[in-house]
Amino acid sequence: MTAARELARRFRPRSGNPGHPPRGRQPRAAVSRLLSPVTCLLSALLFFTGCPQRETAVQRGNRDQILHRSLGYDVVDLDPHLVTGIAEGEVMRALFEGLVAEDPENLHPVPGMAERWDVSADGLVYTFHLRADAKWSNGTPVTAADFVASYRRILTPSLAADYANMLYILQGAEAYHKGANKDFSHVGVSAVDPRTLRLVLEHPASYFLALLVNPPWRPVPIAVLEQHGRSDQRGNAWTRPERIVTNGPFVLKKWTPNQVMIVEKSATYWDAAKVRLKAVHFYPMDSRDAEERAFRAGQLHITDAVPVAKIAAYRRDSPHLLRIDPYLATEFLRLNTQRAPFTDPRIRRAFAMAIDRESLMKALGGQVKPAHAFTPPDTAGYTPAARIETNVAAARALLKEAGYEGGRGLPVIEFLYPNSENVRVMAEALQEMWRRELGVEVRLINQDLKVTFAARRSGDFQMMRSNWIGDYLDPATFLDIFRGDSGNNYTGWSNSSYDAALFAAARTIDPAARRELLQKAEALLLEAVPIIPIYYYTHVFLKQPSVQGWHPTLLDHHPYKHVWLEN
Amino acid sequence: MSNAPSPAALAAVVAEPLEKGTSLWHDAWLRLRKNRLAVFGMWALGIIAVACLLGPFVSPYGYEDQNLDLGAVGPSGKHWLGTDTLGRDLLVRLLYGGRVSIAVGLSATLVALTIGVVYGAVAGFFGGKRDAFMMRTVDIMYSLPFPIFVILLMVFFGRNIILLFVAIGAVEWLTMARIVRSQVMAVKKMEFIEAARSLGFGRRRIIFRHILPNILGPIIVYTTLTIPAVMLLEAFLSFLGLGVQPPMSSWGVLIKDGAEKMEEFWWLLVFPGTIFSLTLFSLNFLGDGLRDALDVRSSKD
Repeated sequence: MTAARELARRFRPRSGNPGHPPRGRQPRAAVSRLLSPVTCLLSALLFFTGCPQRETAVQRGNRDQILHRSLGYDVVDLDPHLVTGIAEGEVMRALFEGLVAEDPENLHPVPGMAERWDVSADGLVYTFHLRADAKWSNGTPVTAADFVASYRRILTPSLAADYANMLYILQGAEAYHKGANKDFSHVGVSAVDPRTLRLVLEHPASYFLALLVNPPWRPVPIAVLEQHGRSDQRGNAWTRPERIVTNGPFVLKKWTPNQVMIVEKSATYWDAAKVRLKAVHFYPMDSRDAEERAFRAGQLHITDAVPVAKIAAYRRDSPHLLRIDPYLATEFLRLNTQRAPFTDPRIRRAFAMAIDRESLMKALGGQVKPAHAFTPPDTAGYTPAARIETNVAAARALLKEAGYEGGRGLPVIEFLYPNSENVRVMAEALQEMWRRELGVEVRLINQDLKVTFAARRSGDFQMMRSNWIGDYLDPATFLDIFRGDSGNNYTGWSNSSYDAALFAAARTIDPAARRELLQKAEALLLEAVPIIPIYYYTHVFLKQPSVQGWHPTLLDHHPYKHVWLEN
Repeated sequence: MSNAPSPAALAAVVAEPLEKGTSLWHDAWLRLRKNRLAVFGMWALGIIAVACLLGPFVSPYGYEDQNLDLGAVGPSGKHWLGTDTLGRDLLVRLLYGGRVSIAVGLSATLVALTIGVVYGAVAGFFGGKRDAFMMRTVDIMYSLPFPIFVILLMVFFGRNIILLFVAIGAVEWLTMARIVRSQVMAVKKMEFIEAARSLGFGRRRIIFRHILPNILGPIIVYTTLTIPAVMLLEAFLSFLGLGVQPPMSSWGVLIKDGAEKMEEFWWLLVFPGTIFSLTLFSLNFLGDGLRDALDVRSSKD
């Protein structure tokens, strides 16, 4: 999946409540064990209404190799250069392929559109040799010129692509994107011949190949785009099912907004012989509860998440359906440092220190880990040394120093969060901690996800719930978002020492020295607290046993090419 | 100390056996008392209202006090109705929620009552073009889907709990206006109104002093039926996240929360659901009883 993936509605797991007796949750197996007649009745109602005797979608899918999965929300767009969300990333993985693809187990780069590549000794020049049978779904070959035109498109300022800065690693790309240089021939992208592409980097990067699997690096069929409008501007409707041309293992068959998106196996894909699924059906589902019921009724192979309250029961009654995977992601709060009272770092710090994260984890279930820093521990060998400790006395002292002893005089703070039950639990717990420990009043404002995104973009918030999922296995994927020029910063905070440390880290090859610079950046971030880290994720979801090849991966990428169904 | 009765008391004693008349209200009260369901409803409502008013003062817990280490546990000696997932005492949240729900029910009904009665009485009394215009306006407002109308109001005016009362009241008066209008049209043709007219009384005096008291029965009855409707609407709005905001609770919020977790923590749904249903049933029983007691003609139908 691509860059900033603000995870809409991932669910935090909830641990079992050891104090009370087992209650049936997989109703068919457990009805007899239900203790309360009321629960029994309700469960029975829920279950039997959704369970006729005929073949379920899952059973039919197992026979026909059709995977049914849900997405947390409806896909906004299918243009790989414009999408940002996690649901779009799932679909992108089926429709488009970049120069390299991912190994399904460890996500290591494996040949994709390029059958092999050479790296120069200084790590700056990558030469990709495209395969002869790389084809678009309309039958035309995928050439090096396609990649050049695609990278030129995403870097064109008029497209205003959110993740254009992911390509800044290419020599001269930043200057071109910011308009300082209008000649694309100065950017380190060139087609040596139709099957040879050369990329020149600004600085060596060990993670460069891993970067290439993200959607901004995937090619788009410029010729097709030009048929339906201008390719370098937004609003081009080339992604409609009857128009779209893709180069991945699947092609788009049907897209009914808010209902279903169907992709089918592509006949022109170079590795089609290895693709075992005939189709994937994506269902956008806002409600975790509805999703869980659909899963139980045999409508889904894989869910996006699990309602917090139901995890304990699944663990107890049907552990074979529940998956708890590691996940490189952090839940945190963004503070608007441009708006009172969070212009004062002492107040930001006081809010961060008054949170008892260990207690909070109990309310959120046992699956997540308290976050005292931003980058998750042991990200490619890096564990942040700086920490925000819980210290209520110090937090009160800081607030007093800022002139608001016991919270007196501090205006009501608004905490913006997207509509989601699992987020509300966290928000209510934080609200109470701040009230009890600092005496400040925080008002919870829940809004539609799109509304919160708009508020974030316009800076119209004081405090908002956020999350960040790593795009590649390197601490830079986290720390880079709070650089002063980052499109994902949104806190109004910038610090030249922080930017300088990251700039230097990107150009440092020695791993120890590089980690040192990253530690320095993280320490600066946690000292200024434009964000309050809350916890590190795990990905909890439901999966039918028939789904094969769905390996636990840190980035939650599961190339559909390697997935199959088996009874 | 004197044993001599005062002249006034003497007169009362003498008068009593001669003229023991009962007012219409007293008759209605006697009829109501015979209706067991209505009496049950009155008692249940009284107990719930008193508990919601006084209970929170007695409870050792506050509605926002969390105990994250405790989490959700079932009913016990410490927490009679159990706790929610944040370790908050369900009983005290239920009582606080009752305050909100009952307050919304009463005040929104008051708003609906005021607007509806005045509007309906004016339309019914004047009749003609003015009536046609006023009632077509009501028809148009009827055709707007209520919840969406309230949601629009909430979006425009923000999430203020007072505004929630007003918003709900502003959409609940339509039926009241229709009922009052039809009653006024029937009553205004009666002889005692003719008498009032011929005595030269003003229109305002006729409407409010002569007509309204005579149609009080249907108004009271409909009012008791509006309260549960309003409480349901509040529950519905809170269910959608548009009603009261956390950490405050209302019955709607509690039921929503309980519905999500019922398979794991049954008490979170059962207790709020029971109290809410009990209140609605009681109000409906009372409303039915009042209709039978006040409007004898319709009760025979």
